[in-house]
Amino acid sequence: MIRIEALSKRYKDATVLDGLDWRVENGGFAVITGRSGGGKTTLLSAMGGLTRPDEGRAFIDGLDIWKLSEPELASLRNRKLGFIFQFPSLMPSLNMLDNILLPIAFSGRSPNLEDRKFALSLLDMVGVGGKEELYPFQLSGGQQRRAAIARAMINSPPVLLADEPTGDLDEKTESEIMRLFQDINRQGTTIVMATHALDYVDLGKAYTLKGGRLIPYEGAEVAPAGAASRGQ
Amino acid sequence: MRQIFYLALQTLKRKRFRVWVMIGSIFLACATLFVAVALSKGISHTLQTALERLGADLVAVPAEARDEAEAALIAGSPTIFYMPAALEDRVRAAPGVERTCAQIFLRSLSAPCCDSEVSLVGFDPQRDFTIAPWVLQKLGAPLRNNQIIVGAKVISAVVGTPAKAIGQRLVFMGKPFTVGTILEPTGLGADYTVFLTMDTAYQMTNDSPLYPLPVKRDQISAIFIKLEKGAEQAAAALAIEQSIPEVKVFTANQLISSYSRQLHSLVNVLLAAGGVFCALALSLAGSLFFLSVRQRMREIGLLMAMGARKNFIFRLVLLEAVCISGAGGLLGVLLGFVAVRLGRDRMAELIGSLYMWPDPPYFFKAAGLILLAALITGGLGGLYPAWRISQTEPYEAIRRGE
Ligand SMILES: Nc1ncnc2c1ncn2[C@@H]1O[C@H](COP(=O)(O)OP(=O)(O)O)[C@@H](O)[C@H]1O
Ligand SMILES: [Mg+2]
Repeated sequence: MIRIEALSKRYKDATVLDGLDWRVENGGFAVITGRSGGGKTTLLSAMGGLTRPDEGRAFIDGLDIWKLSEPELASLRNRKLGFIFQFPSLMPSLNMLDNILLPIAFSGRSPNLEDRKFALSLLDMVGVGGKEELYPFQLSGGQQRRAAIARAMINSPPVLLADEPTGDLDEKTESEIMRLFQDINRQGTTIVMATHALDYVDLGKAYTLKGGRLIPYEGAEVAPAGAASRGQ
Repeated sequence: MRQIFYLALQTLKRKRFRVWVMIGSIFLACATLFVAVALSKGISHTLQTALERLGADLVAVPAEARDEAEAALIAGSPTIFYMPAALEDRVRAAPGVERTCAQIFLRSLSAPCCDSEVSLVGFDPQRDFTIAPWVLQKLGAPLRNNQIIVGAKVISAVVGTPAKAIGQRLVFMGKPFTVGTILEPTGLGADYTVFLTMDTAYQMTNDSPLYPLPVKRDQISAIFIKLEKGAEQAAAALAIEQSIPEVKVFTANQLISSYSRQLHSLVNVLLAAGGVFCALALSLAGSLFFLSVRQRMREIGLLMAMGARKNFIFRLVLLEAVCISGAGGLLGVLLGFVAVRLGRDRMAELIGSLYMWPDPPYFFKAAGLILLAALITGGLGGLYPAWRISQTEPYEAIRRGE
């Protein structure tokens, strides 16, 4: 379960998160929309242990994450969270398999045969099976994003935080990847996804981040007319 | 730990051009430094040997022959000069003088035995201290009049290894000699010198029709002087010159100084080049490295998001820096080694046959030290970027790495 309390984050001239209270149940699927610059990435980062909020608390699995020491927080990111970013995020210097196995190295052990098997099955699951020897530049943008999802899942984290995971992909690939997230969620992983692909707000419980506050999604006020109805 | 190496290596392999520029600049600096250090050690080695070879604190020569004498004493150049043997007693009586011995230089000549001209030098086996005592000891018995001690290069041309040379017969000016023993190679004029007893020297010049100018019994060429403990070379030399105007007295340091000046200016040029290259390497490799870490901020932020600790990031960046500087240093000393080997003989041509390279162990020590210095510098240079990036929040690193 994810919970945030009175979470605030300010930059010099702007309050990006303004005392947010929010929770996502275990196995939930939360979709956060909002215009670009609205603070979606900041919110995911503050509750995922990537940036310290100015005020408030964030809990993952009951742990007050900003009270943890740096190694503990790193370990929490490693075991409990999987991040998927809005840009290509595979290490260009490593092949697919090594990329997928990378988080295991940070959990303090060397990948073993089991891990390799699991990594290959994840690659299969996300739809890029058989490409484990290839390097990121040899794959399409959609394939790289799929591999990044596999990497986020290698330590079987209970929570995936996905920040506009389909932002730069074509519509067909986007819908395939969204379906993938849906499958993953159905198998029990909690997902929080920021997106401005309004077609997919009905994947889970949808919210809008606006003026530093999180409100239940109420239709496509920020999107051009007609866009919101496409997914329904 | 294995992962950290793997990751660092993979990253370095990706930015190949930049990495090679960094390695190259460090390599250049280390190679120049290595050559400069080796050369300068070689010079002090050479000078040290020259001093030891001289075996005396002061050398008195005829005042009118000062210039030729200086050259003759160090390089064994083919000149002759004489003064009355009686001067030796007067020199020995001077304040501060402990011991003296005289030598007589005969005209250099080309002998059928040898590639280059050899100098014949008469010495007094009983009193001489310029030929190391152990050399005479090796003879077993005092040097007889038909025996000679030869420099290392005199003999190598004839029979190859020095060991085989002992007992060989060599003929000079029609007179046959037996090789009594051989001197260690010095790189100095002594390598081309044949030492014989004073008596034989006088006799030869008078008996042999081949020798142009007979030397009289009361003539000597140089007086070697050992001072009492604590006596000051320059002061003693001055005192002797003042009381005996017929002689010019060189201090040992004076004799090698012109030679050392010439060599040292060469080393200074090299050291300066090494310094410039080091400064260049530091700023070039340093800023390139800093830049490449900045460019990889997002990547590093992603590693942190995956669970990498600050500590890991710090070590990763540091390791990269050390790998680069280590590779540069290693290549540098290797090429320095090759350069020194290739330049070995060229060097002798360039600055005279006297030059001696340091012994191999010194090369290894210098190489090790330079490599260590490169590694430490790389580590220190990597500290700041490593610290900076590891202190950055993952979110910031990812955001600013765009
Ligand atoms: N490090 C920062 N310094 C200053 N402003 C920032 C920083 N990070 C984010 N912002 C600002 O905060 C706002 C929210 O950014 P972000 O969370 O990336 O929004 P979104 O992901 O919804 O597009 C933006 O206006 C952005 O410019
Ligand atoms: Mg964003």
